[in-house]
Amino acid sequence: MRTTPKWLFPVLALLPILGLYGCIRVYPIIETLRLSLFQWNIISRRKPFVGFANFIELASDPLFLEAIFNTTIIAFSVVAITIPVALALAALINSRQGLRRSGVYEASVFLPHVVSLVPAAMAWKWIFDARLGPLNALIGFFGIPAQSWLFDPVLSLVCLIVLCSWQAIGYAVLIFLVGLKNVPDALYEAARLDGASSLQAFRYIAVPLLKPVMLYVSVITLISSYNIYAQAFVLASDVQGAPGHLVRVLVLDMLENSFRNYRVGYAAAEAVVLLVIVLVLTGAQFRLFRDRSRA
Amino acid sequence: MVKPVDRFGYVTRPENNIRPANSGRRSWRSAALLLALAVAVPAFASPASAEKLTIWSGWPDLAPFYKRIGDQLKSKYPDLDISVEAIALREHEKRLALSLPSGAAGDVIEMEVEAARYLEAGLIPEPPASIVAFVKANYDMTRVKTAMYEGKIFGVPLFQGQGALFYNTEMLAKAGLDGPPKTMADYTAYAQKLAQRDASGAPTVSGWSLRLSGGGSGIAEKYWTILYNHGGTLLEEKGGKWRAAYAGEAGRTALKQYLDNVVVYRTVTPEMKADAEAFELGQTAMFIRESWVIGDVAKKAPNLKYATAPLPKGTLMVPVDLYVPNKGPKSQIAWDFVQKANEPENLLWLLENTAWVPNRKGLDYSAVLKKIPQLDAFVNVPAGHVFFTVPAISPASEILTRLAARLEKAFTDKSLAGNDAAIDAFLKSAAEESDKILAREDLLAKP
Repeated sequence: MRTTPKWLFPVLALLPILGLYGCIRVYPIIETLRLSLFQWNIISRRKPFVGFANFIELASDPLFLEAIFNTTIIAFSVVAITIPVALALAALINSRQGLRRSGVYEASVFLPHVVSLVPAAMAWKWIFDARLGPLNALIGFFGIPAQSWLFDPVLSLVCLIVLCSWQAIGYAVLIFLVGLKNVPDALYEAARLDGASSLQAFRYIAVPLLKPVMLYVSVITLISSYNIYAQAFVLASDVQGAPGHLVRVLVLDMLENSFRNYRVGYAAAEAVVLLVIVLVLTGAQFRLFRDRSRA
Repeated sequence: MVKPVDRFGYVTRPENNIRPANSGRRSWRSAALLLALAVAVPAFASPASAEKLTIWSGWPDLAPFYKRIGDQLKSKYPDLDISVEAIALREHEKRLALSLPSGAAGDVIEMEVEAARYLEAGLIPEPPASIVAFVKANYDMTRVKTAMYEGKIFGVPLFQGQGALFYNTEMLAKAGLDGPPKTMADYTAYAQKLAQRDASGAPTVSGWSLRLSGGGSGIAEKYWTILYNHGGTLLEEKGGKWRAAYAGEAGRTALKQYLDNVVVYRTVTPEMKADAEAFELGQTAMFIRESWVIGDVAKKAPNLKYATAPLPKGTLMVPVDLYVPNKGPKSQIAWDFVQKANEPENLLWLLENTAWVPNRKGLDYSAVLKKIPQLDAFVNVPAGHVFFTVPAISPASEILTRLAARLEKAFTDKSLAGNDAAIDAFLKSAAEESDKILAREDLLAKP
């Protein structure tokens, strides 16, 4: 009797999901890669093949170079701030587990992550306001002169880094907390018997065991930071009243090239560069964490 | 007894639930029939005459106007359902770019100069002959340029954005100034007198609010207006092609005026409140803007004492035209809507309630001007006042956006203040970039 292979049912069951994934995830990536080699204005039926001309032009485009520089500074700064701060906060919250209000600490740290992006950015815009913002009032107590946070090219980058870190830390804390809860108590007890302090136990037991979690958090934070757009847009928007210095980031530049300048092929080339950067950096992170854990 | 197993070798359903071999086919037929009924019944149930007309606008303040037109059209089409989808201009531009090529745009759409792209691509059908005749009879053809392609009319002008000076009459009187500035040199002199400062000398109320930041092309458009009033222009046409024209004396004078106000005299700083909001809050004495500010002031600062004045030589004019992008049975209703919107009574309502200036010729503005005298600077411009517009060429937006990014940095660059050579070098470099974009699109005119 002829029997149907056992793998057929799972494959058939997965097919709709795989089909959807292919349509909404894989196809756009392939299409973006293809479009980056064409000159297309989104409207015209003409779509001439231009090879790597878009990439060559990108290499000398001052706005793109500024965008890539700004985005890289923001992404690395957010990762550099988020990982240690989130780890420290997670350790503190973990040490209070079982005590009263421990849930409140977790919720309050996670809250910025669930707040809608645009209202959060609007609130930060008010905090950074040069004339009415509480930040300038605060630094005024220490005799520091008021700063043009949203207008100075360097300070506006700092503002974006603060805003993005504030949003990223909550999620990172949650993931680190899960990791910390999975560290066996027996290891801490053994360390304590060997005379290790709490800090030493954290440093030599928890941190090495959390490396896979750190890898995950750093990859996710880096990728999301490379994709920032709304924060930069909101901090510089409201052109009727109080505009700010527009920090040019990659996604914003892509949107401008696609829908303002109607240069879809060129914007696709930018997207390909972003994809390559993120892939290379993710690969580097994997390598970094893997090598160290082996050592 | 053998339990029923399926092709994978395990029990799939109870014994007492085994159906005859053809029952699956029957149930499929029933399901298909039910689905067909579900689709067909609502279609037959709705009245044949019910039509939904979707209006796409990039100006949220125009929603009441379009709703009013829709209500009026119901006398001719009683079952007409009008849906006005008015969103922010930049988002509107994006939805047009995505929907027009696929034929999924609204039934009536607004477009500015970007219409040239869609007309060139053949995505907008020609209107009926009656509409063409209507446009020819009622509009100054110089204002219809953006709605034309290869000599044919494709859209109907509705209103236009044009700049004029808004000034706070109380602040001018307090500073001993008895009227608005007449020349561009006056603007800086006025700004110096009008700026209010704290004890440290930092400005608290700007003398003249300039667009200094915010991204996008707005910075370059405002610079163009000031440049024009210094006798220059941003792009000049030669034989159907274009060339950057701002790297010259007028360009230098215009940029110097910004630097004088921001860096030298500090009559305004980038971090101060700006634009209409600053004007309404009494935080600037004067600024250049389109007529919509009048409607905005009426809502937000009805007690503000202010007046308007035309600019010395001319202003950038941005016409907004209406198009019907889809052919088919609804297109006639859509064109009726467009024509209704352009009836004199409705255009005067538009002016009075939104302060947008209609394009149609021969309108009697006297009644509206009695109520809102500030509109006079927009509808009764002096003889010789020039309206110029962004050329309807595909890279116009990119040229403006890239120039804006450079200007934003230049406005606060202290090394440029009082340094003509540095200003000239800056303008030369920016103009080269503009020309490079034009050359890429095969639109660069010979020098």
